[in-house]
Order: sequence, then C-alpha cells, then structure tokens
Amino acid sequence: MSKRTILILLVAIVAIAGIYYFVNMDKKAEEVATTQDIVIASDATWPPMEMLDSNKQVVGFAPDLLQAIGKAAGFNPVIKNVAWDGIFAGLIAGKYDMVSSSVSITDERKETMLFSEPYFEVKQAVIVQKGSGIKSAADLTGKTVGAQIGTTGYFAAKALKGVTAKTYDEVGLAIEDLYSGRINAVSCDDPVAANYALLQPEYSDKLEIAFILPSEEKEYYGFAFPKNKKGEENVALVNKGLAKIKADGTYDAIVKKWFSAK
Amino acid sequence: MQFEITEGSAIKHPRYSGLLNAWTLSFVGALAAILYLVYSRPDPYWRILKFLPDGILVTFQVTTASIFFALLLGLLTGLGRVSGNRIVNVVASTYVEVVRGIPLLVQLFYVYYALGRYLQVPDMVAAVLAMSVCYGAYMGEIFRAGIQSIDKGQTEAARSLGFSKRQTMFLVILPQAWRTILPPVGNEFIMLLKDTSLVSILAVTDMLRRGREFASETFYYFETYTLIALIYLVITLLLSRGVAHMERRLSYD
Repeated sequence: MSKRTILILLVAIVAIAGIYYFVNMDKKAEEVATTQDIVIASDATWPPMEMLDSNKQVVGFAPDLLQAIGKAAGFNPVIKNVAWDGIFAGLIAGKYDMVSSSVSITDERKETMLFSEPYFEVKQAVIVQKGSGIKSAADLTGKTVGAQIGTTGYFAAKALKGVTAKTYDEVGLAIEDLYSGRINAVSCDDPVAANYALLQPEYSDKLEIAFILPSEEKEYYGFAFPKNKKGEENVALVNKGLAKIKADGTYDAIVKKWFSAK
Repeated sequence: MQFEITEGSAIKHPRYSGLLNAWTLSFVGALAAILYLVYSRPDPYWRILKFLPDGILVTFQVTTASIFFALLLGLLTGLGRVSGNRIVNVVASTYVEVVRGIPLLVQLFYVYYALGRYLQVPDMVAAVLAMSVCYGAYMGEIFRAGIQSIDKGQTEAARSLGFSKRQTMFLVILPQAWRTILPPVGNEFIMLLKDTSLVSILAVTDMLRRGREFASETFYYFETYTLIALIYLVITLLLSRGVAHMERRLSYD
C-alpha cells in the first residue's frame, strides 16, 4: 500500500465514523424528544442515594423514587449522569429540566432555584478512622476535614471553628484520603456516610461514624428546578406524584428496599 | 518578498516596539478588565478576589518548586541522552519515552491515588512530584537538543586543550548551549504554570480550586471563572515578559 492509499483509507474511515455518529445523534434526539420526558441531572457518586451500577446505569434510592413519581404523575424520567461541580449552573442554563442529586434545600439555593417538597431527611455525619479518639465537634479543632465541593457537608465543616475544610470533587475521593490518613475526618450526608463506613467491606474495618453534627434546623433533600415557567410546571407535576406515592405506600417500600438492615 | 538568509541570532525578533504590541495590549487589557470588574461590581468580584490569595500563593509554590526540580531532572536527562554510557543513555531515553506518553492528569492521579495506597505523600508533594517528573522529560529533550546544537569543533578544541570530558561539558558546551536552551525552557515554565491548574483535581487548594469553592457556594460561575482566567493571563504574561528579557540579555547582539 502506498502512502496515498493509506491516507485515502484513513480519511474514508473518519468520514464514515462521522456520518454514522451524526445519523445516530438524530435518532437519539428523536428518542428523547417525546413530550412527557423530564430530563434529570444526577451526580451518581452518592451511594446509596444515586450511584452507577456495573452496567453504567444510574441506580439508587432517588432513581427508584423518580420512576415511581413518574408513573404516578405521568411523565418519563430520563436520568443523565452529570458531575456535581457545575450541576446547578447547567440547570440554570437549561441543559436539563431538573436536578435530583441529594440536593439539600437551603435558603441560599432557594434564591436561584425552585425546590419540590422534601423527599428525605438527612443529617451531617462525621466519619473518622477507628481509634482516632474524635468523639465530638470539639475534638476536630486543629484537624483537617474533607468534604465534597459545594455540599452542605462542606459548608458545615467550614463553619466549625479551628477546622481546616478541604474540598474534593467527589465524596469517594475524600473517603479514600481519610482511609489513607491524609485527612482526619470527612463530613457528608448520613446515608452516604453509613454506606461507606458500614457497608463497604474495604472501608468498614478501618472507618466509623464518629458523631452527627448538631444543627439548628432539620435538613431535607429536594428536587431542584430552574426558576421559569417550565420549572414551575414540573415542580407541580413532581409534587403531585410525590404526594401520591407517599399516600399509597410506594414511598415506604422504596425506603425499606434501600435502608433496611441487610 | 525577498528573504535574507542570515545566521540565527541576526534574525530580528518579530516584535513591534512601542505601545501597540500584542503583549502590552493583552497585559493592560487584562489588568484594566480586572480593575473595571472589581470597581463596577464589588459584589461578587471583590468578594471573589478576596477569596483567592492563598490559592494564588499555592499556585506559585507548586510552580516554583516544580520548575526547580524539573530543571534538575531535565539537565540530568539531557546529559544522560547524550552520554556515551549505554546504560545511562537507555535509562534516560526510556524515562523520556514513558513520561511523554502519559497525560499529565493521569500522572497526577497515579502519584496521588494509585501510589497513595502504598506510599503516603502529602498532596502538595504529590503535585510537585508529578509535575516535575512530567516536565523533566520535556526539558530533558530541550537540553539534549541544545547540547547537540553546539558545533563538534568546540568539544574537539576543548579536549585538545586538555579539558577533561566533564570540564568540557560544564565549562565549554553548556554555557554556549544555554542560549539555545533558554527560550524553549522559558516556554515550558509558562506551560507548567498553566498546567498547575490541573493539581486542583488532587484537592490541592490552588487558585482554581479556591475559585471553584466560591462558585459552587454562591453560583457566581460566570464571574468567578472570568476573574480566574484574567488573573492567570496576567501572571503568565508577566512570566513571558521575564523570559523574553532573559533571552535579550543572553543574545549575541
């Protein structure tokens, strides 16, 4: 084969791949563009609330809940896996219709987004290495606490006096650094803390939940929507579905599936 | 168009003197933009600016430490690549091939998380280590090219005057090669400074991570990243100015 033949072949391959990609893109777009779809962004690194299974599907408590809400309210949830840092910027920019990513409802966030009714109550748990002697917030003075960037766990750690708060892109990376001893503690939502510190075999023999951070008011997860007409319509739809499944026992069944003792 | 073929250093730098050159425009423009933004909308811009200083310091620390070790590694590698010793040569060449074939981001992850299972290094050390190892390979190639650009006659002359091999390298070859080496190495410094933004992935609180922390809390994404881009631009422009100055100091004319 001369150089020229190889070049022509290469160009042909690239062209075919490009055409194939575009044709499929159109197909995909057609699949998504049915009226009853709500496109949902989820950072699937928050087990057991939302995570990726081995088939790269987003699974967990929230996806199950959304399927049930969708069935009750008559829409089809399409879950996209989106990185946490920037997830709200994408929502406001209209890249998707809502965020379901264990978002705690806070006053600051209410200024820029709409929230559904709460769907889960959470507390901020502090994970430490076993035998570290950390039992309360006072013991954290002078220590480094890791948390995921832009989460209530990070805000809580930052608010503690004399504590160095360190941010990570994903909570799993913070846990890994705690496991290897680079930081002294991790603060995050309690279902996630329980999952890492109690259920993951490689972490559970070395890590434990030390205490729950005391807080003034209760903290709840809500689904977040952009502040516009479509957002308002979707909030009403999701709230309707959530009320339905709370009334008929579906909600309790899903809680039991994900949080009962295994 | 007539092209005059001349010796290397006699070719004029394509720089326009006076106020209307690209460097001045970018530098003054970036500074003016920062000042204007902070002045016109102190909330959020002034708040962002107040949030960044310790991050900027970390960016500088990682940059200077990495430049130092990368230069050292680069010199060693460059000497190894032109060495007559087979083993040294193969080791240096393999290092360059392997490191240049792995993305810096992957190297950072590798040093911090993969090796972290067996070898606990603090995040700053991991960052500097990965940056130095990566840039050491690139600089090694620049050193090798610089050394090989010096005429063979120089070595022959030095050797016949009774200089040892080592003396020839350090007293005759390298001082001359330095002129060839400096401009591309200066560019590497600037690339290195920009690439330090990657270390924010390791939870090193550099300027970019400080900015991301601010943005994720306040939702001022546009404002934060605009300011960060401008600050990086100002710093790299200053650095490139310094490199250009050093080049002029070293040039023959």
